[in-house]
Amino acid sequence: MTTEEKLQELLSSWEETYKKGQLTLWIFLALKEEQKYVDEIKRFVEEQSNHTMTCEEQSLYRVLRKFEHVGIVDHELQKGNKGPDRKYYFLTGLGQDLFNRFVSRNIHLFFSPSIKNLLNT
Amino acid sequence: MKSITPYLLKFAAAAIILTTIFRFCLSYTIEHGLVAMIIISAALYGGLMALAGWHFGKQDGEYLPIFDVGFRFHLTTFLIHVGISELWFAAGFQSRFEKVQVIHITALIWLVFLLIHFFFYLYARKKSINGLNRNDLFE
Repeated sequence: MTTEEKLQELLSSWEETYKKGQLTLWIFLALKEEQKYVDEIKRFVEEQSNHTMTCEEQSLYRVLRKFEHVGIVDHELQKGNKGPDRKYYFLTGLGQDLFNRFVSRNIHLFFSPSIKNLLNT
Repeated sequence: MKSITPYLLKFAAAAIILTTIFRFCLSYTIEHGLVAMIIISAALYGGLMALAGWHFGKQDGEYLPIFDVGFRFHLTTFLIHVGISELWFAAGFQSRFEKVQVIHITALIWLVFLLIHFFFYLYARKKSINGLNRNDLFE
C-alpha cells in the first residue's frame, strides 16, 4: 500500500465516523434558511456539503417524523406544482433555540482566533 | 405525543380479525367436543398474533422508534382480546360448556403480567425524550 493509498483509507475511515451525527446539523441549516419540503432539504444538504453528505428521502422523512414528535420541527401543507400537497417543514421556536445553543456550544469554538489559526496553517 | 401510530392501528385491525375468528373457532370446537381442533386453533391464533406483532412492530419502529419496550402493542392485544371475549359472552355466542368466569380469571392473570410490563415501560421512559430513545433521536 502506497502512502497515498493509506492516506485515502485513513481519510475515508475518519470521514465515515465524522459524518455520523452530521445529518441533523445539515437539516437544521436547511430549515434555518427557509421552510422546505423533503426534496429541497435533500438538495440543500447534498449541494451545500459539496456532495460529501448524501441522504435518502426515506431517511429524511424518518428523521423529520422524529423531530416533529419531539416538537423541534413542524410542517404545513402547501400546494405543489402538480400532484398532492407538499409538506413544508420548518423549525419551531424550540427547534430554533436548540439550534442556537448547539451552534454556540459546538460550532462557534471553531471560529476562535487560535483554532482558526491552526485550521489555516 | 403521538403514541397511536398507523402501524399500531393496522396491528389492532389484524388483532380484531384474528381474535374474532379465534373466538368463533373456540366456541364451535368446544361445543362439538373437537379437542384436537381446540389446541390447533389456539396454537394458530397465538402464532398468527405473534407474527402480526412482529411484522407491524418492526414497521412501527421504522416509522417512528417509540421506546416503549413493546408496551403499546401488548396493551392493544390485551384490550382487544379481553374486549372481544367479553362481547362474545354478552352477545351469547359462547358454547354451552364455556363459563364467563374463565374470561375474567384469564384477564386478571394477564393484567398482572401487563402491570409488570408497564413498570418496565415506565423505566424505559426515563431514558427517553417524548417517548423516543435519547440515543436514537439525532442522526
